[in-house]
Amino acid sequence: MAVEESSLLSVSRRDFLKFCGWVAAAMGLHTVSATDVARALENAMTRRPSVVWSSFQACTGCAVSLLQNREPSVANLILKQISLDYHETVMAAAGSAAEELWEEVTSGDFYWVVEGSVSTTIPEAIMIAGKTGVQIVDETYPKAAATISTGSCACYGNIQASNPNPTGAKGIAEYLREDGGVAEPVVINLPRCPGNGDDLVATLAYVLVTGELPELDSIGRPLFLYGQTIHDNCFRRGHFDAGEFVETWGDEGWEKSWCLYKVGCKGPFTYAPCGVTQWNGNVSWCVHNGPCMGCAEPRFWDELTPFYEQTPGVSVPGVGGFTAEQIGIGLGVATAVGLGAHAVGQIATGRFGKGGPPEDAEGGES
Amino acid sequence: MPKVVIDPITRIEGHLRITCEVEDGVVVDAWNSATMFRGFEIFMKERDPRDAWQFAQRICGVCPTPHAHASVVATEHAMGVENVPDAARITRNLIEATHVGYDHVLWFYHLNALDYVNVSNALNATASTPSLQAVQDQVRAVVESGQLGPFANHWWDHPGYLLPPELDLELTAHYLQALEIQQAANDAQAFLGGKFPMIMNYAAGGVQALPTIEQIEYYIAQMAKVKDFIDTVMLQDLVAIAPFYIGLAETGAGHGNYLSWGLFDDESQEPVNRVLPSGVIYDQDITNVLEADLDEVRMYTAHSWYGDEVGEGKHPLDAGQEPLEFTSLDDMNDSETYPEGKYSWTQSARYGEDSRPMEVGPLADILVAYGRGRQEVVDVVDSTLEAVGAPGQPEVLLSNLGRIAGRVLRAKVNADFAQQWADELLSAIGSGTTEVYEHRDVPESGEGAGGWNAPRGALAHYMRIEGGKIGSYAAVPPTNWNASTRDDMDVRGPIEETLIGLPIEDPERPLEILRSVHTFDP
Repeated sequence: MAVEESSLLSVSRRDFLKFCGWVAAAMGLHTVSATDVARALENAMTRRPSVVWSSFQACTGCAVSLLQNREPSVANLILKQISLDYHETVMAAAGSAAEELWEEVTSGDFYWVVEGSVSTTIPEAIMIAGKTGVQIVDETYPKAAATISTGSCACYGNIQASNPNPTGAKGIAEYLREDGGVAEPVVINLPRCPGNGDDLVATLAYVLVTGELPELDSIGRPLFLYGQTIHDNCFRRGHFDAGEFVETWGDEGWEKSWCLYKVGCKGPFTYAPCGVTQWNGNVSWCVHNGPCMGCAEPRFWDELTPFYEQTPGVSVPGVGGFTAEQIGIGLGVATAVGLGAHAVGQIATGRFGKGGPPEDAEGGES
Repeated sequence: MPKVVIDPITRIEGHLRITCEVEDGVVVDAWNSATMFRGFEIFMKERDPRDAWQFAQRICGVCPTPHAHASVVATEHAMGVENVPDAARITRNLIEATHVGYDHVLWFYHLNALDYVNVSNALNATASTPSLQAVQDQVRAVVESGQLGPFANHWWDHPGYLLPPELDLELTAHYLQALEIQQAANDAQAFLGGKFPMIMNYAAGGVQALPTIEQIEYYIAQMAKVKDFIDTVMLQDLVAIAPFYIGLAETGAGHGNYLSWGLFDDESQEPVNRVLPSGVIYDQDITNVLEADLDEVRMYTAHSWYGDEVGEGKHPLDAGQEPLEFTSLDDMNDSETYPEGKYSWTQSARYGEDSRPMEVGPLADILVAYGRGRQEVVDVVDSTLEAVGAPGQPEVLLSNLGRIAGRVLRAKVNADFAQQWADELLSAIGSGTTEVYEHRDVPESGEGAGGWNAPRGALAHYMRIEGGKIGSYAAVPPTNWNASTRDDMDVRGPIEETLIGLPIEDPERPLEILRSVHTFDP
């Protein structure tokens, strides 16, 4: 039973600093260096920050996504940099022992990460240890040092909130504002489906290093991560501008990496850093293998479907009335919808802008 | 009688509550309650049928890929597509192989092992290698920090933990190593599929893209790492710990009915010819494997919050999907609102003429393949039985131990076949068979079903197209079988039945119940 020397808890220092440099650059703060980030993450403090994870109406995909994290590795992240003190998918304790643990960890200082939506019209559509999701949010939100929604369900209700939303599913901030009596809830939304571990680590690092919450856009997303569209960072972008489009799966255009807009790509309407962070240890990201489906945007299941048709009547000013060909040749139009700054085909680290989406670029929370 | 309740059941996908009655140290009755409802079948109505598989993936983020697969096949059948182009068939096998490669490793180590491996006892071991010493040092640092993270407040002092400290340390090291192995498989899945969880490149009619040579070579390299780990670590771990927990062979037999829809298509694309073929076993008779028919599934709702007439099983596409008013998690037998007693958001799936409860999962897949004489499976089962001291006795697999072993064996079979899919695809590309998609317009009407085996068991999706849109949709995942409630005839679901007769050492710390439930990978 061999144990590889290279594995386990000894991630290379170089890889770790590379990640910290990425986080520092992503924050866009010139005064913060990779070393500052490393120090914050490496527990200069006597106690590792306690992270408590709740899962409500969810598929567990955000938890599985976290387990794909690299730099820091999952083992380092949860045992060395933070203390993952409650997470039902991975924790040993169950039943009464888990209930006791929940009481204990939520009585101290903790950062609260939420996966999944809460149900409001059928509160009992999500129950843990006999409590409904909304009861747990009511009790826990006021106690948490910061609340972070990971994945589109906890942000905006996601798939179970799609029409006709059978359970009244809502994101955590939506619930607090609309039903929970909290006028201005402070919740950091890290959407995408599933949530992305790099988003979470970068956001935690931001909070730990600066002692402040990152600047958020109008729907709760950190601007340092969600300031640009998929389209901005797409390696197919040059073909969009040149009017070269894939027409059907596996055609000549596909082989030449042409633009997927006409087979349904939602990249122009989707603010997300996928092209920069990529997925699964930077192995790939969606548009290598299919059109973006807009999973970081609120209500994409209703407003950005059908997925495999050229974008339907989306309420994005300046685009709805134009064909792909017109957009492809009309850079002025692209600029009008906030797609100005981009470097074709180049995916480099530290390229996040501080600029947010234009005010009217999408509908915001309803 | 006082009830023992475990809620939450942790280390699973989703949300589950178990209620048991324990008398004289033995479970005499049991109920499983799924405590989450989202309403997929409701919000999937009126959608473009070609989008269905993207919705379906979100049913389970641990096994999204098999959901995508079963859904896309149901869509194809409803659209009149019987077979997809051969290169698409093989591409799907590659992607599914990476998914199996990750999932069983994650279950064995991260969801299941902590029921048997005492992490705190690893500190008492004599570390035999520098790397084991490093792991022990890290465990000590975590314990001494007082911040135990995922290992906090568990029943580590339960007398049911039986491994010597050296094995606890070794398994703890493998727990950490397995985090990287599941990533290795998923990296290949992401390279072929865009990302994981939630892949991008299936399509009703095939796949969106033929893998490039670079992608196939990466898949080969990653799956070789997975195979090496399964052969040299995971299988060995099973054999090493089994003697300490041999009592598991005496518990958890359950109903003894097994169902498989099949996994990995050959060129015929017939479920009965799959590497793990479709089939049905009744009453533990593994010598008699019957045909499995997707239209023989019936749904019952007497004990769940849905409103079908009691006593009448419905085809999945016709079953009541609208939720009823929630009552209580404690009204097992009756309530004012529902005299029959409702206690779960999960409907009960039953099979065949006499509406049998069926166990699904790797054990079912392996037993069906073994019963059908699939040679690769017979070989690996026989050699494992020999290694655990039960040569020629496959009946020992009809137990909790068998359910654990079944997952390891299925991981082994998958890893052994992984290279073959790559070879087939390279050969197809070499001979110019590169078409991956056959376009078909969405018809005005149609009906279809797709069966596939997720890592946690037989999984079926059903679609009816009406007016070119989804008119009715139904997913019958493993939870509807294994974690089903009692049916309308009051026959328990498989997990419930498996708990009956289980000895419980300490009702305050019912580790045995947790173990038994985890063998199903719910």
